[in-house]
Amino acid sequence: MAVLETENLSRNFGGLAALNHVSIEFRKNEILGILGPNGAGKTTLINVIAGIYLPTEGRILFHGQDISELPAHQRCRLGIARTFQLVRPLPGLTLLENVMVGSLFGKGLGQKEARRRAAQLCEFLGLSGVTRDITRMTVLEIKKMEIARALATQPKLLFLDEVMAGLNSDETREMIDLVKKIHSRGITIGIVEHVMRVIRELTDRVVVLDWGEFLAAGPYEEVSNDPRVITAYLGEEA
Amino acid sequence: MRAWRYFLYILIAIILLTLPFYTGVYLLNVIDIILIYLALALSWDMLLRSGQISFGMAGLFGVGGYTAVLLHLNAGVNPLFSIILGGLAAGVLAWVIGMAVLQLRGMYFAIVTLALAEIFRVIVRNLPDLTGGPEGTVLPSAIFSGNSTRTYWLVLAVAVVSVMASEIFRRTRIHFALTSIRNDEVVAKSSGIDVFKYLVFIFMVTSAIQGMIGGAYAHIYGFVSPEGSFSVDFTLLPIAMALLGGMHSTWGPVVGALVLGIVSEFLKLKIPYGHLLVYGLIIVIAILFFPQGIVGTLGQRFKRTGKV
Amino acid sequence: MSLIGKLKQRNYQIAFICLILAVLLGLWKPHVLIEGLQRACLYAVIALPMALILGIVGIINLAHGDFMMLGAYFAYWLNVYTGMDPLVAILPALLAFFLIGMASYRAIIRYVLGAPELNQLLLTFGLAMVLEQLANLIWTSRPMKLPLKYVSASATIGSFTFGTYEFIYVGAAIIVLAGLLLFLKRTSTGQAALAVGQNPRGAKLVGIHVDRTYLLIFSLSIALVGAIGAIFMTRHSIFPLVGASFTMKSFCLIAMAGIGNLMGILWCSLILGLAENFVLSFRGYAGWADILFFALIVFVIIVRARQRQVK
Repeated sequence: MAVLETENLSRNFGGLAALNHVSIEFRKNEILGILGPNGAGKTTLINVIAGIYLPTEGRILFHGQDISELPAHQRCRLGIARTFQLVRPLPGLTLLENVMVGSLFGKGLGQKEARRRAAQLCEFLGLSGVTRDITRMTVLEIKKMEIARALATQPKLLFLDEVMAGLNSDETREMIDLVKKIHSRGITIGIVEHVMRVIRELTDRVVVLDWGEFLAAGPYEEVSNDPRVITAYLGEEA
Repeated sequence: MRAWRYFLYILIAIILLTLPFYTGVYLLNVIDIILIYLALALSWDMLLRSGQISFGMAGLFGVGGYTAVLLHLNAGVNPLFSIILGGLAAGVLAWVIGMAVLQLRGMYFAIVTLALAEIFRVIVRNLPDLTGGPEGTVLPSAIFSGNSTRTYWLVLAVAVVSVMASEIFRRTRIHFALTSIRNDEVVAKSSGIDVFKYLVFIFMVTSAIQGMIGGAYAHIYGFVSPEGSFSVDFTLLPIAMALLGGMHSTWGPVVGALVLGIVSEFLKLKIPYGHLLVYGLIIVIAILFFPQGIVGTLGQRFKRTGKV
Repeated sequence: MSLIGKLKQRNYQIAFICLILAVLLGLWKPHVLIEGLQRACLYAVIALPMALILGIVGIINLAHGDFMMLGAYFAYWLNVYTGMDPLVAILPALLAFFLIGMASYRAIIRYVLGAPELNQLLLTFGLAMVLEQLANLIWTSRPMKLPLKYVSASATIGSFTFGTYEFIYVGAAIIVLAGLLLFLKRTSTGQAALAVGQNPRGAKLVGIHVDRTYLLIFSLSIALVGAIGAIFMTRHSIFPLVGASFTMKSFCLIAMAGIGNLMGILWCSLILGLAENFVLSFRGYAGWADILFFALIVFVIIVRARQRQVK
């Protein structure tokens, strides 16, 4: 049973085909890895699914419903959430307030309830000192905040865009465990990652994109041995 | 701490309410003007919090004034009620304009608002039967027959409405929406905020307040005219006040209005012309050197010791 | 940005519309055609420098029209004190305003380049106010005009007489447009400027001096608009607020043509100039011509937003 499917999804920017007839599916409760060399279109895929860009061609079906034309905020309320490759904290708000943005608007809770939920999520993710100014936090904390903000909208499908980037070995370990914890709550996860150890440990399946096109899909072991995938990452033999 | 605060607020309220009983008429008039500009400055700041600038305050202000006066004269509407209707008219107008123009933000929106005052001025000038044309329309008598105490209370009420609106914008979820939209629309959208709807709503509300202020002003001074009601004063001063005092807060524009209001009274005595120049300079200097304004800069100092 | 293909198409579309309008008007109301053409070129020649700044430096200068106003006063007082004809004064105006542009950039504009758009808007708004009020203070709001003989030159075709002096605007527009296009496309400085406009960081990486480019372009723009003020002074009476409406109209034209499309500005001005004069030709509707621009910019915004939706 697919939580989300893309059918022939394409997205052009001027002459550049960032996504080219990509058809993939996110199965219920799985952790799907989204792989590909830089510029393959992974973040674009997330952006189009989340509604930041409209598709040039193709459809997106969320629980069978065509959401291709829906604006981003409605997709969020339906249950699609995401984090950002380059973290985007909101200055002028504390950490807790940042997370509250998600619970206030993604879930439509009243302020008190939203604050409670946000505090709960911060605890769940191991964030402390939530009344601190968002501009004085470590990378790990801000990344956790983004995840909390996304979770606050109570998503059914969560995209994590290079969440491990910039983390050291211990922090990566912590993050991997967190993702597992989140997954255990029944959320389907799409994770864009370059660190293969993470992919190997977390994902049930992966899809590989290259130059905006779908290359392969399947369990990591299979896909990592696919010669086309190897070529995409490492280049051809001379 | 809490009880302290309430006591202070009640004290201020009492002082403000009883002001007419121990100040002269001249001073009251000065305070009236300051309060009017204070209300305008706050309404401008409220929109600013969403990241949008409106240069069209004078336009909405004048629309409110004309609506209030014309409804009162031609339809016999009670002056106080006509002021509210003036606000509503401005709000509806803002809704129409916002729906059309807020799809593109930033400079597109700002430039459109820049033209608003001029457009309304032209329209008003060219409908002489309705609006009295270039000469404007004079009311047979000012509201409350010019009673300065009642007039002051009216202006105070208008200012209080503005302050209350500003506080509501700060204490409810609107604050979160505005801050998100202003700082990062993508994050706002991705978190479920309908950015467009919020922007139109805020533009509408702040414009309605400006229209209401304009209605009050028109009734107090007893006339409306293309030059007077849409004067650039009503755009320039409030902006200077908000910037001077500090953007994105209630206290900022209030402080700015008080400081600039008092200063401008002195200026008018020393330099009869050219005070508008000072306001323009204040805007330039504020943006260049202390964009946080008075309150913001002081607030930075106290941030470490005070609580968030 | 390979929108160039699309833009070219758009220019042809707009040019075609212009041609049709021109023919219709020529037959029905030749006055409107001639005067509209002249007025259109005035709008174009003022809008082009603003487009330059917007496209390359990336900021919107709300004081743009007021610099033109200053140029007009500059030419006026130069004439009063030295008897120099304003058209001759174009040269000193270019120089003087280039320097003024440099000073403005160094002292003021530079600081808000990195700041959010809000700050730029507010700063240039404040600057506009300062310039207008300064002019009001120094020269009062009394309109001033120079009694020049040659501005009433006219010609007659058949039974139809029209002013010929105003064709100077047409000449100016063509010269400025051609000059700018040549500068941007053919000189290395110009090409560097284009690069900076497209990607300042990338340009810096290849060794282009970004700040100097901004300085040059900004000063060039102010110089042009000051010189245009001198030309404007010959034909119109001037007062402190005379430039203000041109700011909005220039932006309207730029929005219509699309940022970076200099050629398109000329065609859009033509449509606007003709339409404005058309409205003006009906007596009793004179005031509504300004509203035309306003309605137009709202319309353009709605259309653009639709285009962006597809994005």
